[in-house]
Amino acid sequence: MTGWHLDDDALRRYVERTDSLAEGASAEQHLLSCEPCRARVNAAASAIELSVIDFAAVWDRTRDAVEMPQPSVFERLLRGAGLPAHEARLVAVASAFRGVWLTGVVAVLAFAALAAAVGHARGEWLFLAVAPIVPCLVVASSYDPWMDPALEPELVTPYPALRLILLRTITVLALALPAVLLFGLVVPGETAFAWLLPAVGFVAVVLAASTWVSPLRAAIAVSSVWLAVVWLLAARSGSPVAVLQARAQAAFLALAGVSFSIFLLRRRRLRQLRPWRQ
Amino acid sequence: MVTASISLREVGRTFGATRALAGVDLDLEPGVTGLLGPNGAGKTTLLRLLATALPPTRGQVRVLGLDPEVPAERTGIRRQLGYQPQEIGFPRGFTAFAFVDYIALLKEWTEPAARHAEVRRVLDLVGLSGLGAKRIRAMSGGQRRRVALAQALLGSPPVLILDEPATGVDPEQRVTLRAVLAEIARASVVVLSTHQTEDVAALCERVIVLEGGRVRYDGPVTDLTGQAAGRVWLADEPDPAAKVSWRTGTGRYRNIGTSVRDDVEHVEPSLEDAYLLLRGGSPKREAADEVAS
Repeated sequence: MTGWHLDDDALRRYVERTDSLAEGASAEQHLLSCEPCRARVNAAASAIELSVIDFAAVWDRTRDAVEMPQPSVFERLLRGAGLPAHEARLVAVASAFRGVWLTGVVAVLAFAALAAAVGHARGEWLFLAVAPIVPCLVVASSYDPWMDPALEPELVTPYPALRLILLRTITVLALALPAVLLFGLVVPGETAFAWLLPAVGFVAVVLAASTWVSPLRAAIAVSSVWLAVVWLLAARSGSPVAVLQARAQAAFLALAGVSFSIFLLRRRRLRQLRPWRQ
Repeated sequence: MVTASISLREVGRTFGATRALAGVDLDLEPGVTGLLGPNGAGKTTLLRLLATALPPTRGQVRVLGLDPEVPAERTGIRRQLGYQPQEIGFPRGFTAFAFVDYIALLKEWTEPAARHAEVRRVLDLVGLSGLGAKRIRAMSGGQRRRVALAQALLGSPPVLILDEPATGVDPEQRVTLRAVLAEIARASVVVLSTHQTEDVAALCERVIVLEGGRVRYDGPVTDLTGQAAGRVWLADEPDPAAKVSWRTGTGRYRNIGTSVRDDVEHVEPSLEDAYLLLRGGSPKREAADEVAS
């Protein structure tokens, strides 16, 4: 027994769960040792049970708190950038945006940039070899069937595959380009920016090629060809000047334009189930 | 009310040199239709065609009067379709609620409150109401199948395509699922593929048996079962005259033969008997008619 009792207002707020956390805790502490107040709480709860408390709503709120998936940091970033909540979720679900992948991408780029920064003879080449292929590899993995275990149920929904792929592609570019640019700041000379148009061109080639083959295969093929070209150039001239020439850069721009046009023309063949999935 | 229906005319599908389906003609109306057949018979290919996941290489498919070859109409079909594939993977780290919620987003449930209520409804329907927050990777095989079924039930679609929905599901839940599907089938076309003949017998009005990509039988379940009348008998030993024979739990042998016998201890045939008989050889129709009369 204590020397005080809950007043009527405090009791009502406690029963209706409209009290504050501190007030509720205080009331509960008091109720542990006060039989008369416990009896008043019981009576009040019986009286208001059906009229005041919406148990269905309370239950829904409880289930929300327990069941609702919490948005990842990446998803919150996308929302912050202005993407509607439901589309931010659809983009963020892709495996390519999971922490392990992103960490791997950043590690590769950091290594390449570091190699260039320390002035190693082949460092600049290494950066030029790696930077353009990172965006196309991440784009491919963001919608490759092999990376997407739930492809079949996704495939037969009305949400347009083209929109989903473009949203994820734009997100990859929005993420990867600034990251690679940032690393490029530590790379001496024009090499820091020479990879930009090749990167855009390769992404477009992967999009177009994925209407025939799986995106990841296309990205691996494009990357292999690019690495071979860079290796050959490095072996012959010892300088990345061939890639930096205006003519070469214009060629990459043309490659991007042609490939993207093919992608748009053949967009209906995107994400069809391939025979190998039978 | 518009009657939901699906029609296939001379539908075929090949994968390279492999013929998965050939000359399939079907009309499907609301109700549950069971799809039976051995592995490689073309069941999954047929369901993928109906679900717009695969185009046919020949023939014509119409779902709810819409042509899946026309992009706008294909989207129209997908708005009215639920599909549970035979094999389904789940993104790493997803809970049951998060996965069904994700598919609901792709099905254009953009308003959060309505979407969450629908996700809860379908999870409740498949008996996962208390497991929404559980990671799918930590679930049993049967629970995962029920998550896969839950996403197909979103929006109570007029067309529901289910590829082996009851695999790995325990007997009590299978009974619950049958009740759920029977209720949905009042207004929807439900097509389910299964290896469990008892599910077909308990749930389906109609059964289609596929073999080698062709329709071997299409008709009422009771008619197929009736084809085995007089052709199933018990004996103490395997009967050499039987097409199929196996030892039952009582120690006696259940024999299924292609000819009607009158010198044996007949038992009531099951759908499984009739299916095995169909797969093992064509029963003599005249003999069956004689027994019936």
